[in-house]
Amino acid sequence: MSAQKDCEFLVKRARELVSDDPCAAKAWLITARTLYPSDFNIQYEMYTIERNAERTASAGRLLYDMFINFPDQPIVWREISVITAALRSDSQDKQAQFLRGLFETLPGRVQCEMLLKATEQCFNTLEKAEMLLLLLKRFPESVVQHGVWDYTADLSFLVNVTLITLHCLFAPAVCDVLPLVINNMDMRLPASLMQKYMLKAAEFYIGYVTRGPSADAQIQGKGTQEALKSPSVPRTSQRYVIDGLSEKSSLVAEPWERLLDILAVVGARCEWQGDKGQRSYVDMLQRVKELCRYLPGLEGDTRARCCSQVVICAALVLFRSAFLYISAVQPALFQGVNALSSGPWILVEDLSSVYSEVELERGVVKHAHKKRKLPDGREKTMSSDDEEGSGKGRGRHILLNKTEMPGWAETLESFRTARESWDLLHSHDGLESEFKKICAAWKTDSWLWFRIFLTDMIIYQGQYRKALSSLHQMAAVQQPQPGQQSPSGQVTLEHHRALIQQASCHYALGEYKRACEKLLDVVGALMPPNQEQTKASEDQGRVKTKTRKGNDLRLLPCTCKAVLPFCLQLMLACFKLRAFTDNRDDLSLGHVVVLLQHDWPQGELLFLKAIDKICQQGSFQYENFFNYVTNIDMLEEFAYLRTPEGGRIQLELLPNQGMLIKNPSPALGVELNTLLLQGVQTMERHHTVTRGITKGVKEDFRLAMERQVSRCGENLLSVLHRFCINEKIIIIQSLP
Amino acid sequence: MGDIRQSLLPRDVLSAAKELLYHLDIYICNLVQSGRQPPQVDSKTLELVEEFILHAPKDRNTPTRRMSALQELQLLEIMCSCFQEQSRDTVRQLMFSALFNLQGNQADESRMALLSKLVSMAIAVGRVPILECAATWLQRTHRVYCVRLAQVLVDDYCSMVPGSVPTLQNIHSASPRFCCQFITAVTTLYDLTSEELSPPLELLQMIVSWIQDDPRLVLITFLNTPLSGNQPISSLDVTPLGGLMRWCIKAPLAYRSDKKQALSSGGCESEQEVGPLFSALHLSVLQVLMLLPTILNEKGLYGRLALLQMEALAALVSDLSRLLDQADKHTHLSSADVHTLSQLALDRLAQALQVSMASGALLCSREDLRAICSRLPHNNLLQLVLSGPVMYYNNIHTPPLAFSPHAAHSPITSHPTHPTHPTHPTHPTHPMTPTHPTLPTHPAHTPHAPLATHPSAHPQYPAQPFMTGMPFPYRPSH
Repeated sequence: MSAQKDCEFLVKRARELVSDDPCAAKAWLITARTLYPSDFNIQYEMYTIERNAERTASAGRLLYDMFINFPDQPIVWREISVITAALRSDSQDKQAQFLRGLFETLPGRVQCEMLLKATEQCFNTLEKAEMLLLLLKRFPESVVQHGVWDYTADLSFLVNVTLITLHCLFAPAVCDVLPLVINNMDMRLPASLMQKYMLKAAEFYIGYVTRGPSADAQIQGKGTQEALKSPSVPRTSQRYVIDGLSEKSSLVAEPWERLLDILAVVGARCEWQGDKGQRSYVDMLQRVKELCRYLPGLEGDTRARCCSQVVICAALVLFRSAFLYISAVQPALFQGVNALSSGPWILVEDLSSVYSEVELERGVVKHAHKKRKLPDGREKTMSSDDEEGSGKGRGRHILLNKTEMPGWAETLESFRTARESWDLLHSHDGLESEFKKICAAWKTDSWLWFRIFLTDMIIYQGQYRKALSSLHQMAAVQQPQPGQQSPSGQVTLEHHRALIQQASCHYALGEYKRACEKLLDVVGALMPPNQEQTKASEDQGRVKTKTRKGNDLRLLPCTCKAVLPFCLQLMLACFKLRAFTDNRDDLSLGHVVVLLQHDWPQGELLFLKAIDKICQQGSFQYENFFNYVTNIDMLEEFAYLRTPEGGRIQLELLPNQGMLIKNPSPALGVELNTLLLQGVQTMERHHTVTRGITKGVKEDFRLAMERQVSRCGENLLSVLHRFCINEKIIIIQSLP
Repeated sequence: MGDIRQSLLPRDVLSAAKELLYHLDIYICNLVQSGRQPPQVDSKTLELVEEFILHAPKDRNTPTRRMSALQELQLLEIMCSCFQEQSRDTVRQLMFSALFNLQGNQADESRMALLSKLVSMAIAVGRVPILECAATWLQRTHRVYCVRLAQVLVDDYCSMVPGSVPTLQNIHSASPRFCCQFITAVTTLYDLTSEELSPPLELLQMIVSWIQDDPRLVLITFLNTPLSGNQPISSLDVTPLGGLMRWCIKAPLAYRSDKKQALSSGGCESEQEVGPLFSALHLSVLQVLMLLPTILNEKGLYGRLALLQMEALAALVSDLSRLLDQADKHTHLSSADVHTLSQLALDRLAQALQVSMASGALLCSREDLRAICSRLPHNNLLQLVLSGPVMYYNNIHTPPLAFSPHAAHSPITSHPTHPTHPTHPTHPTHPMTPTHPTLPTHPAHTPHAPLATHPSAHPQYPAQPFMTGMPFPYRPSH
C-alpha cells in the first residue's frame, strides 16, 4: 500500500460518509490529516465540507492552512481568486456573502498576506488593479510595509496595456488607489511622478465625465431620435457603467471635485506657488494668470515648476469649462448630462438685424464686386483670417433666447473662461509646448466635444476659414452613412448642426452661394412646422439687439422652429446685398421679397426699398411671384404698382408670360380692387391691376391675384419651405 | 476553638450548626491572616464540624442529634449564603475543605450526603462559589466519591424531576470548572458496562451540546491546574477525554443495552438520536485532541505528559474486544448490522488512537498499540493506524516543500523496526535499509525524563506539523 493509496482511501471514506454523517466524515479527515499531514487532497476535502456547510470560521481556518502549506496548488489559488472576486463585487447572493464572511473570519495579517500573494499571482491587469485597490483600501499601510509600492510605483503598468479600455484600468487605479498613494506621506515621490499621476487622474476623470452615451443607453433613450423636433425630451438612461467594471466601482461621484482634491494634494506636495487650499477652478485660473506674469523672470527649476503648475491648472480649467459649455450646447454628446429642457445649440452669426440695415448694407455693397465683406463692415481678404483672427474676436456678444436656456449665464461664462484658459496656455511658447504634450498624450484631437468647443472658439475669434476646415473634418466624420441614416437621429442632428455652422461661416466670409448651398441642404431635410409659434420670442430677442451692429453671435437652438427662420434670415442677408446693388438683379430682388414675408412686418422697410427699386427700374420680372408671395400687404403693393398711380410698372410675375402692359382694364380692376383692397380705406377705387395688350394676359394676372388672395391664410413657413426646396437650384444659381 | 463546644451543646441543632459556621468563618479568617503555611484546620475544629453540622455520633454515650428535613434545608440555605458572602477565595476554600474533605471516618457518609445536597442546591439556585469549591473537591477526592456525587446530581436532575435538565445545563456557564469535573465524573461513572451504567439520554445530549458549544470546556481543569505531579492518587482524570473516548468507542455496541429501556419508555425516536450524538461527540473529542499540541507545547509538557493512560486504553480495548465477541451472539440484530456497528466502533478506536498519538495525548509507540490491539478483528483504518503512515511520502499532489516534516530527512522507510508487518511490508522499492542509524526503535531523544510511558515513536512528527498554519487562536465552531 502506498501513501497515495492510503490518502485516496481515507478521502474516499470521508466522501462516502459526508451526506449521512458529516461528523464521522470529519473525524475520518482529522485522522487522515494526522497520518498524512502534507497531503493536499485531505485538507481540501476538509475545506470543501466546511465550505459547503457554509461554516465561515472553520472554512477560513482551513483555507489559510492550505494557503500556507500548499502555496503552489492551483486549486487553492482558484479558491482564493473566487473569494477575492466576491470581495471586489457587490453581489448580494448567498455564495458571495458567504465567501466575504469567510474572508472576514481571517485575522487582518492573514488577509493582507493572502491579498498580497493573490495580487502577485494576478496576470490579468484589470484584476491586478482591482486587487491592488482592495489591498490598499483594507491595508493602506501595506503600501509601505509590504512593498505594494513596487506594483503601484509605476502605474504605467496599468497605462501601457492597450487591450483593455481606459476606464476599466483607471477607474480603480485613479479613483481609489491614487488618493491613497499620493496622500501617503511616507513615500517620497519625485514631483515629476506626482505630476504624471495628476495627469493620469485628470485624463481618467475627463474621459469619465465626457464619455458618450453607451450603446444600451441609446437603445433605451430613443428620444434622441426626435431631438430635432423636441429637444426637451430628457435622457432616460441614468446608469453609467464603465466597461468591465461592476456597477459599484464604475460610479464616480463629483469627478471634477475629486480631481480638484487630487490637484490640491499634488500641488502641496510639488510645492506649487500660492497653492493653499484653493477650492474652485475659477480661483485657480486667476492664480495661475497672476503667476504667469512672473514667468518670464524665472529660471531653471523654478521656471519649470511654475510652467507645470500653470499648464496643469490652466488645462484643467480649460477642459472643465469647455466641457461645461459643450454640455449645455450639445448635451446629447455626454452620458450623464441632463439634457432637460435644453437641446443642442448652434453658435452662428447673429442675423436679427437683417431687416434693419439697409443703409449700411448699401454702403458696403457698393464695393462688393471688388472685395469680400464681413457683415460688420470690416474689410477682409479671403485667405488671411488665420493670423488676424485671434485679435478680432474680442468683445463679441453672444445672444440667445434666455428663456430657452436656463443656465445661459453660466454657459456663456464657461465659454469665456475656457477661451481665457486657452489664451493663457498659448501666451508663452513654454506653456504652449507643455500643453501640446498633454494634448498629444491624451489624444484630444479625437475628442469630438473638444473639437466642437475649439470650433466655436475660433468662430468667436472670427477665424472662419479655420472654423470651416474644422467643420468639414467633423462633418466628414459625422456624415450619415446611407444605411444608418436613422434611427439614430443624433447623427442627422449633428450633421445639420455642422451644416448650419458652415453656412454661417461662409456667410461671414461673404461666400453667399456656398452659404445658401449649405442652408438649402438643411432646409431640405427639415419638416416645416405647422404653425408659426416663434414670433413672440423672436421679437423679444430682436428688440434687445436692435442696436447691435452685426458683430454679434447667436446661440441658436437646433430645432426646426428655430432653424428654419434662421435659414430664411441668412438667405435674406445673402440676397439683399445683391438685390440692392445698382445693378439690376430682379431674381435676387424677387427672392428678397419672398423672404421678407417671414416675420412680417419686420422687413417692411426693406420691402419698401425693394418697391422703390422696382419703381426706379420701371419694370420687374419674377416668375415665381405667385407661387410664393401670399402676403396681402405685398400683393396689394404689387397690384398698386401696375396702376397709373403706382407708376404703371411693368410686372412680369407669371411663369412663361410675356411683358405685362400698363393698361389696366377698368372692369376687371374694380372687381379685383374690391377683392384686394377690402380693408384699406385710403386706397382709391381705380383700375389698378392690368391694362395688357392682350386680354389673356390681363385675365391671367387678375386670376392669379385673385387666387393669391385666397391663399393668404396659408401657412407661411410651409410656403417658404416649399420655396427653398423647389427653387433650390435657381436660388443657388442666382448667387455668384 | 474547641472551647466553644460547651456553648454549642445547649443549643438546638440548627442554631448550634449556625453558631459553629459563624465561629468557623472567624477561625479560618484568622488562620489565613496569621499567614501560617499551609493553613491547617486543627482536628478539634474538624471534630466540632462532625458533631454539630454532620451530626456524626461522637461516642456511644451521647445521643445522636438529628435534624428535621426542614432544619436541614434551613442549614443548607445558611451554608449557601455563608459561602456566597465570603469574598475571599482562600477562606471559602478552607471552609469547604473543613466541612467536606473526607476524613476516612464514620462521619464521611453524612458528609457525602450533606455535600450532595449542598451541591445539588447550589446548582438549583446558581451559587457559583459553591460550585467552584465543589470543582476543587472533585479534583482532590478519590474518584469513588466523585462518582457518588455525580450520581446524586444525575439522579436529581435527570431522573427524579422531569424537566429539570435545563437547570443542570446552566452549570456550563455558571462554573465551567465544575462542569468539566462533572463530565469527568459522569464519564467515569457510566462506563457502559451495563444497562445501569449507560448515561441517560438527557445527560448525553447535554454533554454533547456543552462540548460542541465550547470544546475547550473539556480542558478547563487541565488548563487551570498547575501540574505539580502530586495529583492525589485515584482522583479523577485531569480531563474527561478518556471517558468520552470510551463512550464513543463502545457506544455502537454497548449503548444498545439501553435500547430496551428506551423502547419500554416509548422513546423510539430517542434511539435514533443516539447515533448522531455519539458521532458528534467523537468528532468533538478528536477536535479537542487537536488543540492539545499547542497547549502542551506552551506548558512545556509536549511528549512528557500523557493525558491518556495506556492502561485505561488497554482496558477499553479489552472491553471492546469482549463486546465484539458478544455482538455476534446478539440474535435481534442482523449480521450486517453487527458488522456495520463493529466496524464503526473499530473506526472510532483507530481514529482516537491515531489522533491521540499525533496530538501528544497518548505517549506510546505503534508497537505498543499493536500489542494491545492484537485481538481485535480486522479493520482497514485500524490497520493503517497500527502500521503508521507510509513514510516514503511520494505524494503526486504536493511537491516537496521546505515546511514538510519529511523534507529535512532523506526518505525514511515506513517501519524500519517492523519490516514484517502483515499488511505493511517494507516497500520493496525503498532504497534504505531497515536499520537506518538515525531511527532507533525507541529513540531516547528527550533530554528530560518523560512523565509517562514512552515518547512518541515517531520523531518525524515533531510538534504538530499539521498545525504550522495556526498562528492565531482558532476555535472550531462545532
